[in-house]
Amino acid sequence: MGKKKDKALNESESTIDMKPMIHENAQFFDKLVELIPARFYLPDEKDKPWFQGLSKAEKASAKKQSRENIKKARRDRLDPEKSTKTTLDLLKENLEKEKSNMDSDGEEKEIEVRPIMSDLDGGEERSVTYEELRGSLRSKIEELRGSRNIPSSDKGKKRKNERNDKKGNLQKKQKSDGVVEEKKIDSINDEHNVEKDIVEEAANKLIFSRVKLGDNEDKREDSKKESTKSELLAKHSWKSAMDRAAGIKVHDNPKLLKQSIQKEKKRHQKNAEKWHERVETMKKLKAEKQQKRSENIADKIHQKKMLRIAKREKKLLRPGFEGRKGST
Amino acid sequence: MARFHNRKKKVFVKPIVKKNQQQQSNVDHITGNKIPKSFVFSRGKLPGPLRQLQMDLRKLMLPYTALNLKEKKRNNLKDFLNVAGPMGVTHFLILSKTETSPFLRVAKTPQGPTLTFKIHEYSLAVDIAQSQLRPRCPQDLFKNPPLIVLSGFATGDEHLKLTTTMFKNIFPDIDINTVKLSSCQRIVLLNYNKDTKLIDFRHYSIRLQPVGVSRRIRKFVQNHQVPDLRNLQDVSDFVTKAGYGSESEADEEAATVTLTSDLSRVNRASTKSAVKLQEIGPRMTLQLTKIEGGLCSGEIMFSEYGNGGDKRKADSEEGNGKEDGENDDEMEDSEEDNEGEDNEENIEESDED
Repeated sequence: MGKKKDKALNESESTIDMKPMIHENAQFFDKLVELIPARFYLPDEKDKPWFQGLSKAEKASAKKQSRENIKKARRDRLDPEKSTKTTLDLLKENLEKEKSNMDSDGEEKEIEVRPIMSDLDGGEERSVTYEELRGSLRSKIEELRGSRNIPSSDKGKKRKNERNDKKGNLQKKQKSDGVVEEKKIDSINDEHNVEKDIVEEAANKLIFSRVKLGDNEDKREDSKKESTKSELLAKHSWKSAMDRAAGIKVHDNPKLLKQSIQKEKKRHQKNAEKWHERVETMKKLKAEKQQKRSENIADKIHQKKMLRIAKREKKLLRPGFEGRKGST
Repeated sequence: MARFHNRKKKVFVKPIVKKNQQQQSNVDHITGNKIPKSFVFSRGKLPGPLRQLQMDLRKLMLPYTALNLKEKKRNNLKDFLNVAGPMGVTHFLILSKTETSPFLRVAKTPQGPTLTFKIHEYSLAVDIAQSQLRPRCPQDLFKNPPLIVLSGFATGDEHLKLTTTMFKNIFPDIDINTVKLSSCQRIVLLNYNKDTKLIDFRHYSIRLQPVGVSRRIRKFVQNHQVPDLRNLQDVSDFVTKAGYGSESEADEEAATVTLTSDLSRVNRASTKSAVKLQEIGPRMTLQLTKIEGGLCSGEIMFSEYGNGGDKRKADSEEGNGKEDGENDDEMEDSEEDNEGEDNEENIEESDED
């Protein structure tokens, strides 16, 4: 009797023990199933896309459909709002469906139902998410715009200041140009230069050999004409001296310019003369040759005539010749 | 026995270039600009030290100058000009002497401006070499043109700007991309002192020394001399002995650079080297007195002592005494050597090197 009780107890215990065990096992298996992606585990509901028997248009539409399905599936998979249907859920659904539908309605309907439902769900969810996303985007853009306005106004002011400076200071332009050039050269030299430059006042800035850079041409800016003549002259003389020192040729001297013009004229004249001479000599030679040729031709004809006469005469000089026709 | 001079009139001989010799290029094939060449000569008779100074200046301007330029007494400025054109000479450095002091004129040839400097003090290269403990003159020191650094000129005065442009263009351009570090061996420094308005002229040779190595090892590697190991037990003693370097090694941080390319056996790329300058060549203290618009002629654009100044440039050739306070125009006329002679024959030159 004890044994029976024990047995009963055991049985109850075992049953009690069994339940959690079973539960654990079930959980374990469920987890395993969840790990497997649905399309490998569940039987293929959809027929494999069979494009061969269809016509061209049908094929194209079928392919398009399949592509869209793939896209939808991917979206659904990656959509955070949507609830992911694990393999387990799908399996459960499958079982339920099988139980409920004893009649075979056709697999297609089932297939259709599911994607449509998923579409509807996804669509609604998606529209909601779209609106939300749009709203958040708008707010972000406005934020950025608001922050952007502050520095841009400063830039505009800076530009205005620069313009004012340019209009204001013309007299200092040369100096500033010189300093700017030197600064440029200095800065580039600082990058490439081997020694460290000690940055001090402008007077102690170092100027180096002329360095070849990419754009070496000095761009001269047109300055407004000064009022007095002497100032103009002085400025011009300094400018020409700087240019000459830098190797640029300044054609300053009216005397030399006149000389060069004269030279050019004379050279032109000489060339013209030479050309004339050449033409003349050519004509002469041509005339001579033609004359000689015509002479030679005339000569030839003359010679031929002479020969004929001589031949004729020769016949008459024969010994024992009785006489010409007309004479008796 | 008295020397018999050949008193025959010499016909002007065009400088013949030997076939083996490389003709000096007019255009720098790296930068594409014309290479500036110079003549260094004197007007009038110079005393001994000044003639040495002239020679030193010629060596300074190497390689683009006529080292053995010979001038005769009868040569005028016009003669030099006429020869300068075909040879592509762009600058004249003219030394002369008056009672007060020697003068140096720097002029740009065709009709360029002339800067007149009064030489307050000068030292010859020989003197400087004698004053140094280890004078240094490597063989190919004068094969490449020097770099030039001007300091204190950036104040923006017109005459200073002209001076900087003149000096910058006396030496050929440097192309940063293609220049070889080993070719920059000399450097000319011009320092302008605002207060005294004097320009210091110095000429150094550049030497690169590897840094971060102990003195003993460096000497050993450079000179290949067998070191004296008598008193040492082990080679490690030699290598690790912390010997204090010379005085100049103390300020190494300021003058060290990282080389971009291998310079020599000891100066390797991307290692630190110290840049050491050792003075060679003449040392001068100059004062800018006059700037003329033409070549020793033309209008006077700047004069240290105002118009009608008493700084006169009397050529001893002329032998004319000038009064102070004369008009500058008259001075210009006298300076132009128009004695009516057209002797181009007398300028001899050996090859420019």
